[in-house]
Amino acid sequence: MLSSKSGLKGVWFILPAVVTLLVLITYPLIYGAYISFFDTNLITKWDFVGLKYYVDIFSNSEFLNRILLTLHYTFWVVVGHFIIGTGLALILNMKLKGITVFRVILILPWLFPEVVVGLLWKWLFNPMYGLFNAVLMNWGWIDDPVSWLGNEQTAFAAVIVVSIWKGFPMVMMLLLAGLQSIPEDVYEAAKIDGCTRSTAFRYVTLPALMPVMVVTLILDTVWWFKHFTMIWILTQGGPGNATNVVSIDIFKQAFDFFNFGKASAMAILVFFVCWLMGYGYRRLFGNGDD
Amino acid sequence: METTKRKFSIFNTGMYAILIVASCLVLIPTLWMVSTALKSNEEVMITPPKWIPDNPTFESFTRIWKDYPFLDYFLNSVFIVAVSTFITIAFAALAGYGASRFKFRGKGTFLSFLLVTQMFPSIMLLIPFYKVLKTFGLIDSHWGLIVVYIAFALPMCTWMMLGFFQGIPRELDEAAMIDGCSQIRTFVQIILPLSLPGIAATAIYSFLMGWNEYMFAFILVTTETMKTLPVGIGQLNGFYKVVWNDMMAASIISSLPLIVLFLFMQKYFISSLTAGAVKQ
Repeated sequence: MLSSKSGLKGVWFILPAVVTLLVLITYPLIYGAYISFFDTNLITKWDFVGLKYYVDIFSNSEFLNRILLTLHYTFWVVVGHFIIGTGLALILNMKLKGITVFRVILILPWLFPEVVVGLLWKWLFNPMYGLFNAVLMNWGWIDDPVSWLGNEQTAFAAVIVVSIWKGFPMVMMLLLAGLQSIPEDVYEAAKIDGCTRSTAFRYVTLPALMPVMVVTLILDTVWWFKHFTMIWILTQGGPGNATNVVSIDIFKQAFDFFNFGKASAMAILVFFVCWLMGYGYRRLFGNGDD
Repeated sequence: METTKRKFSIFNTGMYAILIVASCLVLIPTLWMVSTALKSNEEVMITPPKWIPDNPTFESFTRIWKDYPFLDYFLNSVFIVAVSTFITIAFAALAGYGASRFKFRGKGTFLSFLLVTQMFPSIMLLIPFYKVLKTFGLIDSHWGLIVVYIAFALPMCTWMMLGFFQGIPRELDEAAMIDGCSQIRTFVQIILPLSLPGIAATAIYSFLMGWNEYMFAFILVTTETMKTLPVGIGQLNGFYKVVWNDMMAASIISSLPLIVLFLFMQKYFISSLTAGAVKQ
């Protein structure tokens, strides 16, 4: 029934989306790459500098350190999301009484805007009146209030904790949906073949969940690698450079120092890092068809 | 039989214990937000802090509307998010339908491009958008932000709609066409009504994106009364004096629409999200 004419009709359907994406994403991306070759204030000054910023970036270790810091941050956040998210998804998939209540509660952090989560935790970590210090002092774990976000050693860990809190529900939801799409009769069959609860998990659940896990892993890694808002609210990249992840660094380079060309060059490099991570994951765990 | 039953209930108890601990870790910060919002200015600054305020008051909730341009922030966000969600859904539904029903050259490229957009950091777009919108006089305008939010939500929304349309049998289209419906009429009159749950889910996604977005709104809008909710709340985090109870009240109010929306739609939302993200 699909004649060759219907092919053209298909194009009409996707045309609005294609045009929008070309104008609003492809063009700005190319334009961003273009900006990266100029020393510019985006208005009057446009001095062509070629690859100067790329050479700059690679000739000292500063940017590399930011990337490593960001990878370090992303690694712990994603590990946290997967341990908590997978565990909870498996439990929420069991037929326990009152499970819906828990499901709703556990999704809450994901529903709070990032700014709200940032502010809320900034308040919890407040050195003077914060709940966190009050509880720890009450339990006798610390003697004096700690400035969690104002301290190079603790700020990085604090930011990771907040990011795990905010992001685990997303992983949990995606994996839960994946679990629920495994048909019940597969388990019946496995049981007849002599599978116990743990072998069924190993030979039925895990393989069936694998595609969902890979996609979730890629998305989660990339999302948190480029995360900006909560860290900006919590620490603005400080103290020192303790939480100065790349997106914050690029933002400051552009809108605090008005170094738009250099910021654009950094953004291009971050894109390649993100793309490489996605590519790497797919090569590692890919199911071959994509 | 007896022993397996007992083992089973110990297992269940363990599971409940994990769920309760996890729920507490979620609820304690959340309840602390509520508790703070209900405190008076003096009571916020008491050490050690109290869980239940001595004189719970709704002062913060009324003050944010009176002392800050909170109503402006709220209405700005509603307007921007409503318009961008509407346009995003229209385009995403058309594209999702087109990609689910037709074969055409470049379809694979189109679909992979949608995924690639999830890969790059949005900060890459911030600088070019800033320049382009400046050129067109759209800085400090709601339309500038609407355009940005459409660009952000469209790729994922198209994937979600595609997944949804693929679940609707093609025989329906064919039957309608045999009855003499044009392609576009088939889409609007037969398929769209069936895909309302998918549209709802996609709309939530787009709504969440716009309602939460901070970085672009922070840079692209500078006039106080034009700002969106996240930026407005973010700047309550002021330099010299931080009024925590007001900030927590504002936080609660800005989170409520999302929570309410989600509670009504969660079933559709989760299944559509995975249909789009996972079943490729």
